[in-house]
Amino acid sequence: MRVIVSHRAFLIVLFAALAVLPVVANQYTLFVGNLMMLYIILALGLNLLVGFAGQLAFANAAMYGIGAYGAALLQVRLGWSYWIAAPCGAVLAMAIGTLLAFPALRLSGIYLALATLAFAQFTQWVLLHWNSVTLGAGGFPVPQPEFSALGMSPDRGIYYVSWIVTVVLLAFAWRVVRSRVGRAFVAMRDREMAAQALGVDLLRYKAMAFALSGFYAGTAGALYPAVLAYVSPEGFDLFQMVLHKAMIVVGGMGSIAGSVIGASLLVYLLEVLRQFKATQEIAFGALLLTFVLFQPRGLVEFLKRYAPGWAEPLHYAADRESLSDITAAEELVAGSRGGAGR
Amino acid sequence: MSALAVTNVSVAFGGVHALSDVSLAVDAGQIVGVIGPNGAGKTTLLNVVCGVSRPDRGDVTLHDIVVTGWKPNRIAGLGLGRTFQTSQLFPGMTVLENLMTGLHLRGRSGLLAAAFRTPSMKREEAEMRGRALAALDFVGMRAFADRRGAALSFGQQRVVEIARALIGDPTVVLLDEPAVGLSLPRVAELDTLVRRIRDERGVTLLMIEHVIRLVMGVSDRVIVMNSGHKIAEGPPDDIRRNPDVVEAYLGRHGDARHPAP
Repeated sequence: MRVIVSHRAFLIVLFAALAVLPVVANQYTLFVGNLMMLYIILALGLNLLVGFAGQLAFANAAMYGIGAYGAALLQVRLGWSYWIAAPCGAVLAMAIGTLLAFPALRLSGIYLALATLAFAQFTQWVLLHWNSVTLGAGGFPVPQPEFSALGMSPDRGIYYVSWIVTVVLLAFAWRVVRSRVGRAFVAMRDREMAAQALGVDLLRYKAMAFALSGFYAGTAGALYPAVLAYVSPEGFDLFQMVLHKAMIVVGGMGSIAGSVIGASLLVYLLEVLRQFKATQEIAFGALLLTFVLFQPRGLVEFLKRYAPGWAEPLHYAADRESLSDITAAEELVAGSRGGAGR
Repeated sequence: MSALAVTNVSVAFGGVHALSDVSLAVDAGQIVGVIGPNGAGKTTLLNVVCGVSRPDRGDVTLHDIVVTGWKPNRIAGLGLGRTFQTSQLFPGMTVLENLMTGLHLRGRSGLLAAAFRTPSMKREEAEMRGRALAALDFVGMRAFADRRGAALSFGQQRVVEIARALIGDPTVVLLDEPAVGLSLPRVAELDTLVRRIRDERGVTLLMIEHVIRLVMGVSDRVIVMNSGHKIAEGPPDDIRRNPDVVEAYLGRHGDARHPAP
């Protein structure tokens, strides 16, 4: 059976559903809906960097953590209001993320993956062991922002904040990839030398891609303490990285709608499997490998084939060469997790 | 005044002298062909000119500006375009987007313009689209505008790549073996296209090519390279009769059908 559904209609329906969710849902479902939106932001940011700009970076979970810890510590340590602390956390993650563009100028493919992975592990180590600042492995509670002026509970209030932020960032990503900047990203991903010969300044556009991705991850991170009322290092570990990666691979590399599909689907799966904590990791590792091996272009490829109205305009997907790099890196990460001896 | 000048350039990779003291000048509006056996240093020469490789010695001058050591994107900004030996079309983009990327330097819109869809950004996009379609008309590929780069035949990719290199109105274009892998009728089309690029668009061309018929047919001057040295330079007819060239490149008996290895 052929289903006629356009990518645009899908996104509108999904976000309309998310908008009315607080009216019908219990507190748990509301929480899952909120989590879904955080992961949509994370997947969008990672897809801009990896799927569009072709930079095989593995530091998304670190940027997420920096945003979360930035926002949380500024509140807890300095007594700042959430509304000031949160944007600062996001901007801090963006600034640190931008610096990763410098190794990316010299390294590519698997080498960049390794360098950024090392950075992510370093960040994790700092969160765990720099007790005097980060309060160590146990994490700490963070007060949720108040919405009593609007007559809303904190959970519901932050849900709507997340909704607005997600819609804005989705629209922004959507427009960026269809612009001159988006074309420069894809040019850099597909043929770096030709891109440069046409005048694309690699430093500038790599920095831009890393900055954007850092800002997205940092924003999701800044929402995190308000949603969970708690931060701890394990929220930003290597499993998170695998999760973000799995979202864009399952959804579709180089596809905005794919990022949304992958994130929504995997958050749902995550919740279904939550009772069986050990199976989560196995299930996601297996899912990632299955897609990398058998459907490297993700679910959007199915949709393009079987839903004739889908037609995401200017839908990019990585070519074989860059996909094989990604496969190698996925295997590497899967291996390093096994070897970490946790 | 020459549009492009290479002065005493040497490049070594490890112990291999890819280029030894090579000088050449291309006058505005000329077509200059570069021939030579494999490993003669032709592609290295192009890479030095466009900024991909840095010469150990010597200078590259584009429109009387010394560009030695500049990054490729900066040299491109001075009006240098190039094509590559293997297809370097962006496979994930449509043909139209490939050409619009060729106009990168003609655009100004950044992230903020994209975010707010400013009127100037929309105007710029519409203008780029129009120019991209016109460029496809120039090479007769308009019907393929919405195809993916990866879905084109080899010869079509070649032609689109040439259009992409030309669309930003460069003044000097480097062509790296444009005829490689093309069928004979396609080579004849390329012959016409190369002349049109010079005559209709006033572009100065430096072309590496192995298809002798094409080089000798379209070039005003031909430069012959061997083992990193320039061994001869002159009008095609002189080159054909030059005994050094005949021996080094065309084979001892001057039989072009059986070139020396």
